[in-house]
Amino acid sequence: MSDKADVNLTGVKQSQGVWLVKVPKYLSQQWGKATEKGEVGKISIAKKQGKTEVSFSLSEELTTLGAVGEKDASLQVPREHPFTMHTVGGQTMAVFSQSDTDEISLEGMVVHRAECRPVVNDNYMKLKKLQIKESTKSPRLSQQLERAITTVFKPVANHDFNVLHEKKKKSEGKMVRAERQVVLDMLFSAFEKHQYYNVKDLVDITKQPVTYLKEIMKEIGTYNNKGAHKSTWELKAEYRHYQSAEEEEEMQTA
Amino acid sequence: MTSLGSSSSSATEYTVRVPKNTSKKYNIMAFNAGDRVNCSTWTQARMERDMSARRIYGEEETQEGAAGSEFGKKQREEARRKKFGIVTREFKVEDQPWILKVNGKAGKRFKGQKKGGVTENASYYIFTQCPDGAFEAFPVHGWYNFTPLAKHRTLTAEEAEEEWGRRNKVVNHFSIMLQRRFREQERGEDDEDDADKSGKKKKKAGGRGGDLRIHDLEDDLEMSSDNSDSSMGDDGESKTRAKKDTGKGKGKKKKRKSNEEALEDSDDGDYEGLEVDYMSDESSSDEEPEKGKPSKAEEHPKGIDEASESEEESEEEKQNEEEAKEEEEEEEGKKTPVQMEKKKKKDSSGESDSSDDSDIEGETASALFMKKRTPPKRGGGRGSAGSSRTGSRPGTPSIDSASTSSTLRAAASKLEQGKRQTQGPATDSPAAKRLKMEPSTQSPVPSGKSTPQPPSGKSTPSSSDVQLTEEAVRRYLIRKPMTTKDLLKKFQTKRTGLSSEQTVNVLAQILKRLNPERKNVNDKMHFYLTE
Repeated sequence: MSDKADVNLTGVKQSQGVWLVKVPKYLSQQWGKATEKGEVGKISIAKKQGKTEVSFSLSEELTTLGAVGEKDASLQVPREHPFTMHTVGGQTMAVFSQSDTDEISLEGMVVHRAECRPVVNDNYMKLKKLQIKESTKSPRLSQQLERAITTVFKPVANHDFNVLHEKKKKSEGKMVRAERQVVLDMLFSAFEKHQYYNVKDLVDITKQPVTYLKEIMKEIGTYNNKGAHKSTWELKAEYRHYQSAEEEEEMQTA
Repeated sequence: MTSLGSSSSSATEYTVRVPKNTSKKYNIMAFNAGDRVNCSTWTQARMERDMSARRIYGEEETQEGAAGSEFGKKQREEARRKKFGIVTREFKVEDQPWILKVNGKAGKRFKGQKKGGVTENASYYIFTQCPDGAFEAFPVHGWYNFTPLAKHRTLTAEEAEEEWGRRNKVVNHFSIMLQRRFREQERGEDDEDDADKSGKKKKKAGGRGGDLRIHDLEDDLEMSSDNSDSSMGDDGESKTRAKKDTGKGKGKKKKRKSNEEALEDSDDGDYEGLEVDYMSDESSSDEEPEKGKPSKAEEHPKGIDEASESEEESEEEKQNEEEAKEEEEEEEGKKTPVQMEKKKKKDSSGESDSSDDSDIEGETASALFMKKRTPPKRGGGRGSAGSSRTGSRPGTPSIDSASTSSTLRAAASKLEQGKRQTQGPATDSPAAKRLKMEPSTQSPVPSGKSTPQPPSGKSTPSSSDVQLTEEAVRRYLIRKPMTTKDLLKKFQTKRTGLSSEQTVNVLAQILKRLNPERKNVNDKMHFYLTE
C-alpha cells in the first residue's frame, strides 16, 4: 500500500489556526477514558492585567486514576492545568492528517504552542511517586524458588523425539533404486525449479540411495566445490537450458 | 460556552472535546522558519512515501526458481542469520520519509523525515476551535520534519571529499560541476554508436573539467600538460571545440559582469606562466581547440582578491550558467558576433590601456575568437576583446584569458612549425605537442596577412625608450633565455607606442627571423641565442 495522494489543501486555505498542546501522559490517559461524547473538560481563556491566561480544568468524572475499586482509585489526577503559551518561532508547523483510505489533507497551520502543566500539590506528588516506582521496575525479575521443580525435566532412556524418528526410519525402509529413467526424470524436473541442489536435498526429493544418485548425477551434472554455491550439484551445460523446459527434455539421454 | 465576568479579568470558557472517532490520524509537518514556507501560497501539493529504502531491505528477494537459485536457500539464510544473531530491522512503511511536491513539477520539493521519540513521554494534541466555540483535541500521531530538497546537482560524498582536498588549489569552482557532467556524459556515450552524436554531446558537456585543472594555482603547468594530454588526446578537436565554446559562453557572461568592477593593475609576477601570443590572425579552425584549453590557463595569474571575487561570482552564476550554457552553445554562432560588437563599443570608451599584458592577451585572444566565428570581423573583435579582457581581469576566471593563452601557444607553435615542418593532424599525439602541431596544420600564413595593421612591427618605432627591433630582441635572448611572455613584457605597449596586437605580430616576425634555440626550463619554453 503506498500512500500517494494529492494533498487536500482546504484546511490551510481557510487559514485555520490551530494550537499544538503538549499534554502529560497521565492526562491523555484520562482523556482516553472519556465518554462517547468526548467531553473532557473546559478551557478558560482569561485576560488578567493585560496577560492572557489559559487554563484547562479536567471534568470531574475523569479525575480518578484507575477504575473504581482498585487501589489507585483514591489517587486523584489534578484538575487544574494552566497552559503556558509560546509562539511558533523557529518552526513553521502545519498539521496534515491521513485518513484510513490514505487520503492526505492539510488541516491547518499551528499558531500557538502550549504546554499543559498541572498545578503542583501534594496529590500530584503522590501521583508522580507512583509513576516513578512503576517505571523503575525492570521487566525481568529474579525470584528465588523455595522448592526445586521436578515436573518438567526427567531423565529418560530415549527421548520421545528420537523414538519416533527411529520408528519412521524403520517403516520407510531402505531406499530402493528406481529405474534410471525415472530418476532422471525426477532430477530434471527438480533442476527446472532451481539451479543448484545439495546432495541431501536431492536425496530427499528422489528418495534414492546416495551412491546411486551420485552415479546418475555424475553423468548429467557437475559438483561445485567453490564459489557462491558451495557444495552443490548443478546440471551440465548441455543439459541446461533455463528458457524452455521442452528442450531440457530433449537433452535427456535415453 | 459560558462566559464569566469578574472584576479584574474577563474569562471565557470553552469546552474541550476529544473526539472518539479515530478515522483520521493527525501528524505535524514542521518546516524550518528560514525556509519561509507559506502554506497558503500552495496551489497544489502531492505527497507520497519515499520507498527508496525498500530496496535495501528487500534485496534478498531474488526470484524463486530462477537460474542461479539454490534449493532451500531462503531457509538456509534465515537459519544462518539466527545463528549469528543478526537482527534485521523491518521495513516499516509508517516510518518512511514523505516526499512532498508543491505546485507541480516546477515547484518546490520537500522531504519529511519522521522525528522519533515524540510520543514516548508526553502526548501532543491539536486543539482546533469548532464553529460552536468548543475546542476539539486530536492526538498527534507522528511528527515529520520537512526540509527542502535541492534541485540543482550536488556532489556525492566521494566527490565532495575529493574537492575538499583540492580546495586550496582550485580557483574556478564552475569547473567542478562541469567536470562531473562531462564525466557523466562520457559514461553515457560509451553506449552510443553514433560518433557524431557523441561529438556533439561532448560539445555540450564542455569537458571544461579536464581543462580547468590546468589552471590551478600551484600546479598550473605540470597539470596543464597532463590534462591537455587526457583531454586533447582522443577527441581533441571536438572536445576542445566544446571547451572553447563553453569557455566562451562563460567568458562572455563574466565579461559582462566584470566590466562593472573596478580595474586592477597587474602585478609583476602575475604573468609569469603565461605564454605570449604573437601569432596574430590565423584563425583557422585548428586553432579553435587550443583556445578552449588555454582559456583556463590564464586564471593562474589572478591575485587572491580576484580569486575570491571570482568565487563569489561563480556561486551566483553557477546556476545561471548551467541553464544558459546549453542555450549559449546552440546560439553561439549568432551570439558571438553580436557580443563582440557590444564589446567593441565598450572598448571605444577607452578602457584598453589599463594593463599592458592583458591587453595583448585579450586582444589576441579575441582576435582568434573572431577569426573563428566571423572572419570579416577581425579588426573589430580585437579591440573589444582587449577591453573586455581588462574588464574581466579583476575578478573572474577569465575565459578569454584562456583563449589568449591558447592563441599564445598557437603562436609559439607556429614558430616551431617554421622551424621544422612536421605535419600531421594531431589526434594521436600528446596534447602538448598537439597544441604546437595544430597551428602547423593551419595554412601557415605569416602573421599580419589578414590584419589591416602594419605588418612589420620592426618598422618605425615611435619615440620611446624601448623599441621593438630585432636588435633588441636579439640582445635579450643572448643575455639570457626568455619565454615569449617575458619578451612581451620587455616591449610594453606604452613604451613602444605600438598596440598590443602589433607588438605581438612584430615580435612573432622577429622571432621567426632570429630563429632562436629552445630550451625547456620549468616546463616553459625559453628562447635563447648563442653568439
